[in-house]
Amino acid sequence: MGGHASYRVTHETRYTYAGKVTSAHQLAHLQPRNTSWQRVVHHAINIEPQPAERADGVDYFGNGVVRFMIDAPHDVLGVIAESVVEIDAHAPDVAAASPAWEEALAPPGVWGPDTDLEVEHYRVASPMVPIMEESIAYARPSFAPGRPWLDAALDLTRRIHAEFRYDPKATTVSTQVSEVLEHRRGVCQDFAHLMLSCLRSLGLPARYVSGYVLNDVPAGEQRLSGADASHAWVAAHCPVLGWVAFDPTNGKLADLEFVTLGWGREFSDVTPLCGVVLGGAMQELTVVVKVEPLVA
Amino acid sequence: MLKTYPDSDGRFDELFEAPQQPRAHWLRFFRALTATSAQDIRARLAAAERQIRDSGVTYNVYADPQGLDRPWDLDVLPLIIAADEWREIEAGIAQRAQLFDRILADLYGSQSLLQQGLVPPKLIFGQSGFLRPAHGMNLPGGVHLHAYAVDLARSPDGRWWVMADRTQAPSGAGYALENRLIVSRAFPALYRDLRVQHVAHFFATMRDSLQHFAPKGDGPVLTVLLTPGPYNETYFEHALLARYLGFPLVEGGDLTVKGGRVWLKTIGGLKRVHAILRRQDDTFCDPLELRSDSALGVAGLTDCARRGSVLIANALGSGVIESGALLGFLPRLCEHLLGETLRLPSIATWWCGEPAAFADAIDQSKRLVFKSADPAHRFDPVFGEDLDEAGLAALVKKMKLQPERYIAQEFVHVSQAPVLARNQPYGIVARGIGLRVFAIRSQSGYLVMPGGLTRVASGADKRFVSAQRGGGSKDTWVTSSGSVDTSFTLLRSTVSASDLVRSGSAIPSRVAENLFWFGRYEERCDDSARLLRLALNQLLDNDDDEDSIEPVLALTREFSLTEEGEDPESALLAAATQEKSPFGLHGNLRNLEQVAFTLRDRMSMDNWRSINLLVKDPIFGQQVSLPEALDWLDRTINGMMTLSGFALDGMTRDDGWRFLSIGRRLERLSFQCLALQVALQHGRASGLTWLLRLADSVVTYRTRYMARPEWLPVLDLLVLDSANPRSLRFQANGVYSYLMKLEDTYGSCGSELMRPCVEALEGLDPARDLQPENDHLRNTIDMLRSTAFALSDGLSHRFFSHAQTNVWATLGR
Repeated sequence: MGGHASYRVTHETRYTYAGKVTSAHQLAHLQPRNTSWQRVVHHAINIEPQPAERADGVDYFGNGVVRFMIDAPHDVLGVIAESVVEIDAHAPDVAAASPAWEEALAPPGVWGPDTDLEVEHYRVASPMVPIMEESIAYARPSFAPGRPWLDAALDLTRRIHAEFRYDPKATTVSTQVSEVLEHRRGVCQDFAHLMLSCLRSLGLPARYVSGYVLNDVPAGEQRLSGADASHAWVAAHCPVLGWVAFDPTNGKLADLEFVTLGWGREFSDVTPLCGVVLGGAMQELTVVVKVEPLVA
Repeated sequence: MLKTYPDSDGRFDELFEAPQQPRAHWLRFFRALTATSAQDIRARLAAAERQIRDSGVTYNVYADPQGLDRPWDLDVLPLIIAADEWREIEAGIAQRAQLFDRILADLYGSQSLLQQGLVPPKLIFGQSGFLRPAHGMNLPGGVHLHAYAVDLARSPDGRWWVMADRTQAPSGAGYALENRLIVSRAFPALYRDLRVQHVAHFFATMRDSLQHFAPKGDGPVLTVLLTPGPYNETYFEHALLARYLGFPLVEGGDLTVKGGRVWLKTIGGLKRVHAILRRQDDTFCDPLELRSDSALGVAGLTDCARRGSVLIANALGSGVIESGALLGFLPRLCEHLLGETLRLPSIATWWCGEPAAFADAIDQSKRLVFKSADPAHRFDPVFGEDLDEAGLAALVKKMKLQPERYIAQEFVHVSQAPVLARNQPYGIVARGIGLRVFAIRSQSGYLVMPGGLTRVASGADKRFVSAQRGGGSKDTWVTSSGSVDTSFTLLRSTVSASDLVRSGSAIPSRVAENLFWFGRYEERCDDSARLLRLALNQLLDNDDDEDSIEPVLALTREFSLTEEGEDPESALLAAATQEKSPFGLHGNLRNLEQVAFTLRDRMSMDNWRSINLLVKDPIFGQQVSLPEALDWLDRTINGMMTLSGFALDGMTRDDGWRFLSIGRRLERLSFQCLALQVALQHGRASGLTWLLRLADSVVTYRTRYMARPEWLPVLDLLVLDSANPRSLRFQANGVYSYLMKLEDTYGSCGSELMRPCVEALEGLDPARDLQPENDHLRNTIDMLRSTAFALSDGLSHRFFSHAQTNVWATLGR
């Protein structure tokens, strides 16, 4: 695949509370990340009501964050992030050559003087991504000894797509990978966590990617799942190909239709909007995401 | 006396170098001890135990069926360490603290140690104690590790080994201080003669160093001690240290973040906090960035730490050092970072994330103990010697999946020291011991406390030495070769005018509110008990022929103790002795107990215990007779009198005390108003003795008038007599003067609401108004009662609205 694409992304989050919230501290991961193949042309976040304090920063993983605090009593919180990005094609050809998947394992017992920490961050378990026998057992059919890395990882991506049902009612933000494996249902976040658990349990470095997928498709083509909200997929690291992104929800490599917000070990590292409030209980949460292609 | 003292059985013996041959530095103590009579020993022991009880030293053991507040287990015989040996330990600990500070600076900064392969990345990245949000913080003074503690044990060859490092929120220094106070009093002559090094300087350095490193601005430097609260196992120590160091003791809900800074919510408004000595684990410090399922903590604290606007001791994320996995890497890190050889050896440790080490550890499993590499992971230590072949195979299989999560360690046959056996006749036995030593970062490097907390194995499994598992403790005496610096105490020798403490200015709103409610509930319990006693007495023998029981019963209904239409006797008994009676005595006592529990750092343990005993009294839930119920009510009233005596005699007259007193007086004012309203409604037909009895004023009345109760003198005594502590005027004047006093500091507090009441009371003319039908009197009482309610609301709004507990709801995760 070649070429490039431009999108305008609008991500609107609206919390409605039962009763007034007197104080709110929030942390937003809503700013698309600049990478070698993605440029952020425009980005703005509007917050209602006006925050008393707001500060931009960069998190541990290099993602842009906005922290803000509202101390005026309010019963609705609206956050609108608007971004324009340009993306170059960057996914490898599905038939590209890659080394045996075992090449991506950490060399046993050696910590050379030139460790690539960018990779090492993503080898260990994290709260939502357990290392466990069940994940190895599920991944094993895709990872026969000596099988090329890209081939194996893409096979796992496709198997998750084929063997799990997309079902927003089946899970919540705190659903564990073991439950997803058992019930074979979930949403993009669950499938990403499952695939991460499979890869890391085998010893392969892999990270969680938060972003959007194009929801405006030509007539006749099937829309991709997860297109009306924020999306999540996986990037795994190959010693030859570098980071390659796989979308287990749609069973394919992630490329031009995918806008990357940022990455971390798991969902909780890059939650689009999270926070703590004093006062009113949450009544309703609505999230509307629009990804519009721009004609160059 | 030493007949019971066993041979060392291969262990190092702290006391003897050969059977019955004391080591040189023990000789003096040993001679004195053997020359002491059993009776004398008994007396010293009893004195020490009394002191523990009086000062309320406790340790909450989670696993203990006794539950909260187990008395502190202290053996009065100190562990004695010779000066020259101590110098080695001291230097080793200071070096270690410095090394850890440098390692933390690297892990939360450039990570060059990981990059260069000096520490395996997996060892760090897999730790739940490695806090990514704590990376790149701008730390005041660049210091990560302010307070450090280390657990030492001595092996049979006499060497000290590091068993574990405490780098997050080390506990024990306060207990060491308390042990010192108690044991030095038990052996005052020996303490002096052995020239034991003092520990006060250590605490003064702690206080001054935090102040030195703290960021400045917005007034004088305010350091607080952050506690998870009274349920924490070392809460006693938090309260003790806070008092000793002069820091306000605060919970997460007492702090708030505004403008990138941390503020303490006090009754005087928000006060900037410059330094936080935390005893709360870091994942609980900030629900926004550190642990979203924690409703505790201070939202935004991490960001303040990142900006460097507050000093947090120790820095967020410093717990990562507590993993035993690092131990094996320390010698090399010490060479690399400090250019020195590591002075204090760590117990031999294999990190299983290293394949060769893992294989080696399995080979030697019989002499090793397997533990989690991550203190946050639940994994009970497994002793290789306890495993059969199948057990070992199962362990290996479990570890293989994530070997980086495990370590294997040798275990030391720890040294033994003499312990005084509690049972008669007093003998001396030997117990395994470990030593926890403390260091604090000062302007000139790390200062080590000369001494520490010696911990005594409980005996059940000698391989463990742990307070959490129920062991005891000892004071630690480091002798000195030179003179002891006795001049030092935490009290400064000269106090200038600018140092004067404006008492109570930093009382957290939560504390003021709890004191206010303590006052109210204490009075309400007293009122309920007196009213119930009166009513039951009247049922028992109505000997005051002209007194109808009707007004008393009406009052019990007005006070929600009974309801219309109930059988009076059973309803009153239920209110006095049943747990489920909704507004009964038990409910009020329980409320009082709960408030008292949150105030444990402000009042003695005895107070809390006496309330606790009332709440847990076996009478509740039993079928009791009328006389039994009366006996119980007498006990309750006595208990309340003791409590109010404490408030009168035992508390400093600061603003906190004023809030307690206002609470009590408002409660009593509104109760006495209610009683008078009921009496006036029932009018002349109903008699007055009950009213005098309820107000505890029978004796006064009889002394003055030697006559049967009549309206004019009774109303004078209960309404206008400003010398009678149960008169309306006494209460109203008291509340008014406390409010005026608070207004000196805080501006309007509601005295303008109280003034018309005080004036109305003054305006009552005894000759004209003190009659039951008088409207002026009735209106005045009505006004007083509604003012009491309005004031309570007004004070809550004015002072306690800050105290709203931070129960954070988390969104988006």
